Amino acid sequence: MSVDIYWRIGTHGDQPSLRRRVASRGEWAPVAPGSLAPGIRDGERDGYSYVEHMGDVARASEISGFVGGLLPSFPNTDDPWAAAATLARETTTYRFMIAFQPGFLHPVQAARMSASLQRATGGRVVYNIISGGGGPDQLWWGDRVDHDDRYARTSEFLDVLKGVWHGGPFDFDGRFYRVEGAGLPPALAGQPFPEIYFSGSSRAAIEAAGRHADYYLSWLEPFHALAEKFDQVRAVGGRDPKFAVRIDVLARETEEEAWDEIRRGWDNIDPSVLRDATGDSIGWQRSRSFVTGAITGHRDLEVTPNVWGGFHLLRGGPAFGLVGSYEQVAERLDELIGLGVGAFILAGVPHLEEAYRVGERVLPLLRGHDLRIESPLLEGTLS
Amino acid sequence: MARFVITLPAGGDGGRGPRPDFPGFVTDLRRAFGPFDHLAQAGRAAEIAGFGGAFAPFDPEGEESLVVAAGLLRQSRWLRLVAGFHPGIATPVYAAKVSASLQRFSADRLDWWLDVDLDPAVARAQGDFLEGPDRYARAEEFLTVAKGVWSEEGYTYEGRFYQVLAGGFASPLTGRRFPAVHLSGTSPEAYALSARHADVHVFDPDDDIEAAPLPGVAYGLRLPVLARDDENEAWAAARHLWTAGGETAGTLPDPDPRTRLWRGFPSPGRAHGPGLVGSFETVAAGIRDYIDRGVGVFFLEAAPYIEETYRLGERLLPLLAKEKAHVR
Repeated sequence: MSVDIYWRIGTHGDQPSLRRRVASRGEWAPVAPGSLAPGIRDGERDGYSYVEHMGDVARASEISGFVGGLLPSFPNTDDPWAAAATLARETTTYRFMIAFQPGFLHPVQAARMSASLQRATGGRVVYNIISGGGGPDQLWWGDRVDHDDRYARTSEFLDVLKGVWHGGPFDFDGRFYRVEGAGLPPALAGQPFPEIYFSGSSRAAIEAAGRHADYYLSWLEPFHALAEKFDQVRAVGGRDPKFAVRIDVLARETEEEAWDEIRRGWDNIDPSVLRDATGDSIGWQRSRSFVTGAITGHRDLEVTPNVWGGFHLLRGGPAFGLVGSYEQVAERLDELIGLGVGAFILAGVPHLEEAYRVGERVLPLLRGHDLRIESPLLEGTLS
Repeated sequence: MARFVITLPAGGDGGRGPRPDFPGFVTDLRRAFGPFDHLAQAGRAAEIAGFGGAFAPFDPEGEESLVVAAGLLRQSRWLRLVAGFHPGIATPVYAAKVSASLQRFSADRLDWWLDVDLDPAVARAQGDFLEGPDRYARAEEFLTVAKGVWSEEGYTYEGRFYQVLAGGFASPLTGRRFPAVHLSGTSPEAYALSARHADVHVFDPDDDIEAAPLPGVAYGLRLPVLARDDENEAWAAARHLWTAGGETAGTLPDPDPRTRLWRGFPSPGRAHGPGLVGSFETVAAGIRDYIDRGVGVFFLEAAPYIEETYRLGERLLPLLAKEKAHVR
């Protein structure tokens, strides 16, 4: 089995490094000299928009050997459908992994958009289906369906989407959706159905994943916790999904160099930001639960070797990532393959330059699953 | 100035169909042709030929219009893209969110054409079971919420169809031009919706434009055209269009002497639709009549798309370059 390795594209701007939490790519911070896409030229904005940089990241990823990239979706990000449709014809092999919440689009419309995008890209659409973190964000989107019902809705959404995909007529009468005589028209039918990466840590999520997911996607957690989660998913059964992990990577020539980069960012953190996240997402709660001891320095968040739980303090996003030398990061990825991981969504800041670095320096070192997992990696937290 | 928008082929290949094989001795370097290659060419043609915009209609048999619009915006500099869809496709928040990104990516060149009154069977196949005046009530809420989240941080809405709590876009998604809203229909509900929300109300050639109670709204017109160097050539082409549609040459209708409209264009849902046929000067005169009646935006329909777009851009539009839209 081959392992698919993706590289994320930020849809919320990007920082030039993890040293300072200031986004100068895209206009999520005030546009000033030194800002890129849009930039300043002769005192005026240069007319470029952030999508120009997203296109650069996509091409860098493609050149560096990644099969595609995840386009995340949050209230204050650019939209993944819009970005994928905009960049469709500017890459050749790059797969667009579109993050979306089923409640916001009608499944027939999602089928139409997906089939058109498959036609525009030659079959390079991949889904990252999220059912919502909950909390205030969900109401921002205008969605009042509660946590567990959202997974029931996701299941129905995918039933309808798959039902119309190869043409019609297809009838459906469910709790959330109803269609009559539906089906993609001949011009759109017959495209490959996008692979589904399914996110969510709750019981309801895992059950829905069992029915629909090709890949069960998790944020990186300490490996023993990931192994448990995979076991839970396997126990629920269903379609026996493969596993994928979304991982931030900070890899350098030497271990010292990598940790020094983290320390530089750590020294710029405002201590008051060590606070709890809001929302009813179990993923967030899990990430926080591994780091319970007193935190006096950045290495206190290294929960197991090279697994560092402080990335959310240096940039927006999940907490855990890998820090170490190229060899160490490659070894950890190999160990995850040994746990059954069949796909990675890697990321690094800045995404453009780090795509080249990880593609050139880390990916060639991977050896695959022919490795025994060292016992310390499967032990508990440091708390 | 009147604005001219070309209507895009919804079916992707623009009706060209598969390319025949070459004889074996002819070197053939043609690569596999993607369905969007034709669409891309049609969009490029509109940009190069000087059209103000291109219209990707909602067509249940064709490509999804927002995906088409995104691709064509990316490869043009001036063209505005009008994407047609119906309010059931997404929540208004999400439709606005996708559109905000497209405005950011395209320097504000996306517009909306909302199809409110779909054929009931088509609507049910799209998962939409609303009928009658409720459709206009929902469209009203859809546009209200989309515009609300677009321009107001902390936006809250509680309606029959949609709810939002503490919504609204933040920087940098804010500050873009909201897509110009195109609506159509001649019912009292349609006019009431347009009075509140339309930037452009689009008519068909036969509609009683003067009767529309829409002060302050720009008027648009969907208009099939067939224009050639002289009348003879144009009518020969019209005859070809007529017989290609399965009719016999002897039944070729004459144009209406008063309105100049010829009722022989292929038209979905109807046997034949009205449009203008003639020399470039004749068609320009027909368009001037509509400009005199207050129409400011023309959605021209002509096939084959790429060739006709070039032809109209080079020969018809220059004749209308000095026309002012009289009222709107």
